[in-house]
Amino acid sequence: MGTTASQLSKESLSEYQELTFLTKQEILLAHKRFTELLEKHEKEQIDARVPIGRIITLPELKSNPFKERICQVFSTSEQKDGSLTFEDFLDLLSAFSDSATLEIKSHYAFRIFDFDDDGTLDCADLEKLVNCLTGETNDAKLSSTEMKQLISNILEESDIDKDGTVNLSEFQHVISRSPDFVSSFKIVL
Amino acid sequence: MKGSTRKDLTASTCLVILCLTEQQNLLEELAALSTRDRIQAIRDLPMSFKDKKHIRWVSHKQIKMITKSFSSAKQTLKLWQGAMKSIGGKFGTSVLTYFVFLKWLLMFNIFSFLVNFGFVTIPLLVYKGLEILTGAGYFKYTVMYYGSYSNESLVGYNMQLAYFFTIAVYMVLCGISLIFSMAVNFKNNYVLADSASNSAWQLLCTWDFSVTNEKAVKQRRNNLCVQLKESLSETAQQERLTISEKLKHYGINFSCWLLSTSLAFGCAASIYYLCEYEIEEGKTLLVPFVVSLINLVIPLFYSLFNKFEHYSTHRKQIYALLIRNVFLKMSILSVLCYYWMNKVPAKGSGWESMVGQSLYRLVLFDFLFLMLGSFFGEFLSNVIGTKLIPRMGVPEFDVARNVLELIYSQTLAWYEPYEQYIRHFISSSSVSVSLTHNCQPPRRSGRAAQMQTIFIFLLFFPFFVGALSIVAYTAWSLTPSKSCGPFRGLNNSFSAVDVWIDDLKNITGSQWVVEIYNNVIRSEIFYFLITLIILVIIYILWQVTNGRKELIRRLRQQIVNVNLRNKWNLSSLEYIYILFMFLFLFA
Repeated sequence: MGTTASQLSKESLSEYQELTFLTKQEILLAHKRFTELLEKHEKEQIDARVPIGRIITLPELKSNPFKERICQVFSTSEQKDGSLTFEDFLDLLSAFSDSATLEIKSHYAFRIFDFDDDGTLDCADLEKLVNCLTGETNDAKLSSTEMKQLISNILEESDIDKDGTVNLSEFQHVISRSPDFVSSFKIVL
Repeated sequence: MKGSTRKDLTASTCLVILCLTEQQNLLEELAALSTRDRIQAIRDLPMSFKDKKHIRWVSHKQIKMITKSFSSAKQTLKLWQGAMKSIGGKFGTSVLTYFVFLKWLLMFNIFSFLVNFGFVTIPLLVYKGLEILTGAGYFKYTVMYYGSYSNESLVGYNMQLAYFFTIAVYMVLCGISLIFSMAVNFKNNYVLADSASNSAWQLLCTWDFSVTNEKAVKQRRNNLCVQLKESLSETAQQERLTISEKLKHYGINFSCWLLSTSLAFGCAASIYYLCEYEIEEGKTLLVPFVVSLINLVIPLFYSLFNKFEHYSTHRKQIYALLIRNVFLKMSILSVLCYYWMNKVPAKGSGWESMVGQSLYRLVLFDFLFLMLGSFFGEFLSNVIGTKLIPRMGVPEFDVARNVLELIYSQTLAWYEPYEQYIRHFISSSSVSVSLTHNCQPPRRSGRAAQMQTIFIFLLFFPFFVGALSIVAYTAWSLTPSKSCGPFRGLNNSFSAVDVWIDDLKNITGSQWVVEIYNNVIRSEIFYFLITLIILVIIYILWQVTNGRKELIRRLRQQIVNVNLRNKWNLSSLEYIYILFMFLFLFA
């Protein structure tokens, strides 16, 4: 059961309402914004896929430092190229919505921060994370000694079993103690 | 029960596509849940859309549509949704807390307005019609003014009791809702949060995804970099401070505190003398003007002092600033209340109306200064900052200062409920407009959730409790004047209840009310017992929390031990053996 661009059937709408955290208005708005991204010939296809290049032109994602990672995580394409169907898009919005639970958000945050997709956050992932968030200009970058110190501080704080990496449970443990996480991990159309 | 079921489900599914046996387990678990739990459980699965659809299709055929209609309705009623989104997009969630707080206050005030209006004003209006509004001295006789009510206004409706009970119930409800929000906020934001939550890891994890403006994102990244560097160097620097430098810091801090407290006292004293002067000379606009001027100017001095001081963490700096501002406002308010409560009743009849008029003037001036401050003040700073002295930069939106002003105006509302509502709405829109045009986001990424807790705490403790005590003092001790107010003719306002109880004694069947009143509300033992019970409960909960902390510490140690054991591929027996050898050698 797929969706074309022209209409969103009532049955699909109710199905989406049950499977995601989004309300009816949010789903309709998402549908409208998604079809704006489609080319003319794609509009009649079922389950059309929008390539990553077009997704990141959305104003809500354009300035986000994690835009490529977000698309990679939510994409279900076999080529792993970050392209999204409408249902992937809804999945994305659902995880980032107001009513999503802490478990879902922390799960997806972990996957987004896991740059090499190996299931744990090791030093390389953490370094990429810090660079992503601090900027590319030379004076905004951290020096290598500062980076090492920072990563060792992070591991000391979050690595409970002392194996040198942060796994999902340790990450969720840290997140559960941060009351700001749920309100910051939000993207609303 | 629901939470643990969900956790079981997430624990039992993995990131990759489920194998058949695991899928069977999942379906069995889902079948055991109620419909609503089942839907929530499916939504909470960290799987792709296709997989979730498959699960849903296989597991059941009779899902009903639930509460979506309620949440859709709630969505349409959300006030200021678009504006708040754009503010959050540009400034982030910490500034958004200001507006969330504002919305909360507005809802609070609307509720209180409905209560007051419904029980006190409407009966009067219905009875008297529009007659009252056309009398001489427009404000003095309108229903907006306490002074115009009298017990003879309505037959069969005891205006005294209505007024008294309305105010009492409203204050009690305010108190309860404040305590409740405070407890919930405190639990979420302080107890569960780590003491190390100011760490770099927390800063990184709580990157604000809702910021969409390009410049804002770049600025945030720079700020984050600066903050990270600072936190790295701070820990290194702490050990390197010499004794003389520490003494210097303490000296500066102490003198700044001394200066600010004496400023506050000086302002309070001058207000007091000004009140006396005002009565003698009859210049009634002087006091409100000076009060508002003080409230505008002195906090700027405090911010200036703050720049010279050194505190070990940025948070302590913000708290110091907040405490000083709160102290200033409290002292001014208490001086004014003292003056009104003590001096004015002695001066003449109709003191309630006079106090009402003074409050009205105060509120009006506060509002005017707020509007002027947000439009012209910040606009001027913007102009000066960008064109004349580019080094200063665009003014930051000082969340703390603005919230404190909100709380202050709310306190004034508790004294005189009617004038607040329209002003509240207008001032909030004006502040948001001036914000978007003139200010830049604060430089330090705020601890949004904890700030919310502090604001509610501030609202409750000094300000609400102060207002409550003033109102209680008025009701219990002051003699109502003979010519105005609904309580005229009584010894004190509280005697209205006494009179009513006396009347009830004569009616059979209401004896139980009289009994409760005499033995429970009027006896001191009752309150003593309640306080004792509350203290015992608090002690028990505190001990439980300590026990749990100890348990967490031990479990963490256990995890490390298990991991070490696994790393070295030891069996438990070997592990214990080595441990004993170790202890034996070194004990």
